Amino acid sequence: MKKGLMVLFGCILCWLMFTSLAWSEEGVTDTEIHIGQWGPQTGPAAAWGSVARGTGDYFKWINATGGIHGRKIVYHMFDDGYNPAKTKAGVKELQEGTGIFGWASGVGTSPGLAVKDYLMERKIPWVGPAAGSLHWVSPPEKYLFGVYPLYYNEARALVRYAVETMGKKRVAVAYLNDEYGKNGLRGAVEELESHGMEVVAQVPVEKSDSDVKPHVMKLRKADADMVLLWTTVSHAVRIVGTAKAMNFAPQFMSTSTCSDFPLMTHISKGLWEGVICATFGELPDSDHPGMRHYKKEVFDQFASKDERWGMFYAAGIIFVEPMVEALKNAGPDLTREKFVAEMEKLTGFKGIGPEVNFKPFDPDDMYCRQGTRQTFLVQCLAGGKAKKLTDWITLD
Amino acid sequence: MVDFVQMIVSGVAVGSSYALMGLAMVIIYKTSEVPNFAQGEMALVTSFFTMMLLTTFGYPVWLAFALAFVFAAFLGAFLEFAVLRRAKNPNILGTIVITIGLEMVLLGLVSWKFGAEHKTMPFPIGPYDSFIIGDIFISKLEALTLVSALGLMILLFFFFRYTRLGLAMKATQQNSVAAKIVGIRTNRIMMMTWGISSVVGATAGLLISPVIMHPFMMWDPMLKGFAAAVMGGMTSLPGAVVAAYLLGIIENLFGGYVSIEFKSVVAFAIIVLVLCFKPSGLFARHYVKKV
Repeated sequence: MKKGLMVLFGCILCWLMFTSLAWSEEGVTDTEIHIGQWGPQTGPAAAWGSVARGTGDYFKWINATGGIHGRKIVYHMFDDGYNPAKTKAGVKELQEGTGIFGWASGVGTSPGLAVKDYLMERKIPWVGPAAGSLHWVSPPEKYLFGVYPLYYNEARALVRYAVETMGKKRVAVAYLNDEYGKNGLRGAVEELESHGMEVVAQVPVEKSDSDVKPHVMKLRKADADMVLLWTTVSHAVRIVGTAKAMNFAPQFMSTSTCSDFPLMTHISKGLWEGVICATFGELPDSDHPGMRHYKKEVFDQFASKDERWGMFYAAGIIFVEPMVEALKNAGPDLTREKFVAEMEKLTGFKGIGPEVNFKPFDPDDMYCRQGTRQTFLVQCLAGGKAKKLTDWITLD
Repeated sequence: MVDFVQMIVSGVAVGSSYALMGLAMVIIYKTSEVPNFAQGEMALVTSFFTMMLLTTFGYPVWLAFALAFVFAAFLGAFLEFAVLRRAKNPNILGTIVITIGLEMVLLGLVSWKFGAEHKTMPFPIGPYDSFIIGDIFISKLEALTLVSALGLMILLFFFFRYTRLGLAMKATQQNSVAAKIVGIRTNRIMMMTWGISSVVGATAGLLISPVIMHPFMMWDPMLKGFAAAVMGGMTSLPGAVVAAYLLGIIENLFGGYVSIEFKSVVAFAIIVLVLCFKPSGLFARHYVKKV
């Protein structure tokens, strides 16, 4: 009798286990979809912390307008302080403790690299890492979709503009000595090579450097007429300021991560004026209908009172717009495989960022998972205002 | 040659903020043999407090800075009274752990209260205004830091040598039991030491703040200041200052002529070398305790 009961109990257990697999996806219930994101709210990259907050407010607005097929998005955001060890610990805790359907955005190349293999081995979708690293898509991964323009392409666009439009002859690069900085350096080197030129100085900056005078001396010694900055926000400001103190005045250009002009102007005490940056989305003060819509519906209604309608806040929306579109298109019976299939069908998708195009998975084509090849260039004006120098540039 | 001179000048300039942090650490160590790892964050709290006075309350710079020094003195004294004094006979490891804990609490407090976004503090001297002599430049703010560090060093040197309070502090460090017997209120002396040290550290923080402010801004100067203090012997005020300038110059020369990638770690390589070959530091007298 006892044995029979145990067998029955075992069968019930197996049934429960298999039915849960067959009927529901991890992180999805009848009423909820669990989505996670990490973002530095403290630490050296905290200036980019508003990306994760922007995504959170966007999800609040989606929930307030009925959710997705009747399900609310439950958003799990944690502060990793731009520390890859914390990123990995936080992602594992949420994934294995709560159960996350998919991961949205996530600031930083190094933090992202710390969890990429973990997520991909478990076939967990990750959309729109908030970093333009080649590591996401070269080689492509079936469950990882890049929305951020590649740093490599941003650097190429900037150098091309400097050489072809501004006639610059001596290009130097100051780069953060990690994968983020090296992606920018690689783009600059290759673009210059295509013009038969070389980088006149490659100056690595360490995260812990607070004195950049030796770096600027090297740039000045190379007599650069354009300096490409691929560093953190604070290093970029220090380099521009120290150059001013040394009476060294090349054209500075920088990556989209330094394109929040009101912030850059404030912390550089106005010295950021004239700097040209690549960018990944419409400008916060533009008349673009999408920007006006999100400003009114998302920012004005859901942002905390200390929040600022800036580039990085809007980026938190840009990077997850394709994810939300695919969640809608996947219909009420949501599974990861259906979601990935819908992501692959996104072509010509246009939100407030660049045009997004994905394709069915092809291990030999990184653009099946790198959704955009577009960026555009803006110049900082007095008071942190921006002037659009180009329209969207598409790079091959 | 111009580059060489510029590197020396830049090294001296950057060494000044290390010198201020080094001085602050030495003051506490001289009296209580506590290596205070919360020194940077004590300066951080004062810097953000000052920024609040300047931007939120609109106080003039002179008043905000005067209040900042009073605040810094009270903060240091309070931490000694409320935290360090409560520890029951802690050994050196215990005090290190306590100060690291304090550091984390203060860092968290600043992040929570002021947020982590980068800021700058309004200041009459622009952070990138400079004096240019020929091809050599030094920023005006760094020149002010240099003058402050040297001035404070001289002031503290005379304070410890010729004032009753300074002598009482030295006596407390050398033999606190004997100091108590001759009527020195050692607890009060310790509190004052922390207050003075906090003011010196806050000077460094206030002179860094016009460049950029964020919760981690004191991390690098604190570590470099600590390196300078170790190099100078931990108990020698002029030693810490000279070592800080040496450190700044070595860093700049190393970055300019050897490797810019490893410029930041030179300080720590120097600590290791000094501890290997001259454990008592370059400028401190070596004491041998009889057992």
